Amino acid sequence: MTAFMQTDSARQISRGIAGALLVAAVWEICARGLNLPAYILPSVTSILAGMVGDLASLLEAARFTATESFAGYAIGCLIGMAAAILVTMIPSARSIVLPLATAINSVPVVAYSPLVLLWFGIGMASKIVMVAVAVSFTIFLSTIAGLDRVDRKSVDLIRSFGAGRLAVLWRLRLPTALPLIIAGMRVSTVRSVIVAIVTEMLGAYGGLGWVIYQAVLQIDFVKVWAAIIVASAISLAFFGAISFVERRYVFWSKA
Amino acid sequence: MMERAMALTEEHLRGPAAGAMGLIDLLKPSKGRAVAQVPAKLETAEPTDAGKPLIELRNVSKTFGTVKALQDLEVSIRPGELVTVVGPSGCGKSTLFNILAGLEEPDPGNVLRHKGISSVASDLLGKVSFMPQRDLLLPWRNVIDNAILALEIEGMPRGEARKQAMAMLPEFGLAGFEAQYPNQLSGGMRQRVALMRTFLFKRDLMLLDEPFGALDALTRTMMQRWLLDVWQNHKRTVLFITHDVDEAIFLGDRVLVMTARPGRVKLEQAVDLPRPRKADIVTSPEFIALKKTLLEAIEEESMKSFQVAGY
Ligand SMILES: Nc1ncnc2c1ncn2[C@@H]1O[C@H](COP(=O)(O)OP(=O)(O)O)[C@@H](O)[C@H]1O
Ligand SMILES: [Mg+2]
Repeated sequence: MTAFMQTDSARQISRGIAGALLVAAVWEICARGLNLPAYILPSVTSILAGMVGDLASLLEAARFTATESFAGYAIGCLIGMAAAILVTMIPSARSIVLPLATAINSVPVVAYSPLVLLWFGIGMASKIVMVAVAVSFTIFLSTIAGLDRVDRKSVDLIRSFGAGRLAVLWRLRLPTALPLIIAGMRVSTVRSVIVAIVTEMLGAYGGLGWVIYQAVLQIDFVKVWAAIIVASAISLAFFGAISFVERRYVFWSKA
Repeated sequence: MMERAMALTEEHLRGPAAGAMGLIDLLKPSKGRAVAQVPAKLETAEPTDAGKPLIELRNVSKTFGTVKALQDLEVSIRPGELVTVVGPSGCGKSTLFNILAGLEEPDPGNVLRHKGISSVASDLLGKVSFMPQRDLLLPWRNVIDNAILALEIEGMPRGEARKQAMAMLPEFGLAGFEAQYPNQLSGGMRQRVALMRTFLFKRDLMLLDEPFGALDALTRTMMQRWLLDVWQNHKRTVLFITHDVDEAIFLGDRVLVMTARPGRVKLEQAVDLPRPRKADIVTSPEFIALKKTLLEAIEEESMKSFQVAGY
């Protein structure tokens, strides 16, 4: 079963690489063949050369952005899950909190960025807060949906074994919710990197969003693209890591 | 009502009481749990003690909104008995089990005695081992961990619980399957895992709701014989719902036939067939006579429920 999963994901990865190479080739041909100016589309080779040239500053920026994303993500996941559990355990809170959360979640969180920058400064803290807010709402809603999926008959069964509310939560509701929680976590990976970068563009001392913003001001479009590619790589790696965890630990809901 | 209860006791004393005594000797309550009458100590006592019910229901009704599922139900189960329950579908059999498992409170005005002590249904939570109609195995737990679910909830350390369950695997035909997940098992095996989970939760009263209902005929007869063996080894009091009259007679010390909704006990039929019962007992004249009586009673009720449904 594991071997099957490995070959399956290996095939997916090799397909992804083939696709990326194809896009890069077409891109290269277009950029060179049509002789496009750099502000429209620099060639792939020039972007790669730019990445090598700016490697140290790009890596530093990547470290910045990755730290903000991961920290905000971890905090957001914890807050989202804890709030969801709390709300499920206190049914009266639920009818108030749930519509509110849904409403807040439907506004793009980046709309709050200027305020958060004002409150938390333009250092890392403001990015972490923004990412945490964005992630926590998603995780909150998916955890609630997951906890609600529990089957009444299964609850009855373990109550008949003498299980109290906590035991029902721990042994039944949370495992039942896990596939949806992890699915929410997987989607949130990309979201957390996006939110970190966008917030950096609005004000920061470092990070890929800040690099992009500065490069645009300096009309250095090769650098803009170099930073975008690094950001995509971080997103992909993050997404891949959580997908791996999902396959590994939520084996039952796929079969 | 009283008369019927009396008659029942007498009938039981005439009939399979000797057998029931044997069962009581072996009825081992789980450790650390006080048993009101301590039946294990009564080996030489008069047979009257054997008739003392483990659980007794009287005037039990249950209404869901406008649906009256049970009305004035009377049931009394003696320790060590295997009582089967048949009745038209929707007559409240599962509802009766939910009450006995402590999951539903009957309408007010009922009498519910567990080991002679007056109780409300919720007092029975954690005191009855209940196997619902569906196996309800947890897909994220393998066979062994599904089997120990109840033990874990009781607070037994996992290692110890697993050891107990491992020892029971061969008896349940699951040796070598401990690490499999439910989606890798056949219907019969899933049912055996669910049964094992129920047996490992050592309580005096065991409720089995159509445990073999979804199995094919061949698997079912095998499981029936196997269940009798296991029951004889473990000596529990069992209430067993089925819609199969052959199964009800083959397994039961008594068969309760329920009326169409609202459910009551229409007929209590003692099954005096000797144990251990062989597969060919179903062709004996005694068996066929019992079957005839029961089928008539069931037919009558099924007709009623069809008429209610407008056919
Ligand atoms: N929780 C419930 N809420 C509403 N109606 C119920 C509930 N449980 C059972 N019923 C109704 O009670 C009747 C008896 O159901 P049940 O005990 O499951 O019957 P059986 O197991 O004999 O087929 C049915 O009409 C069913 O619809
Ligand atoms: Mg039923």
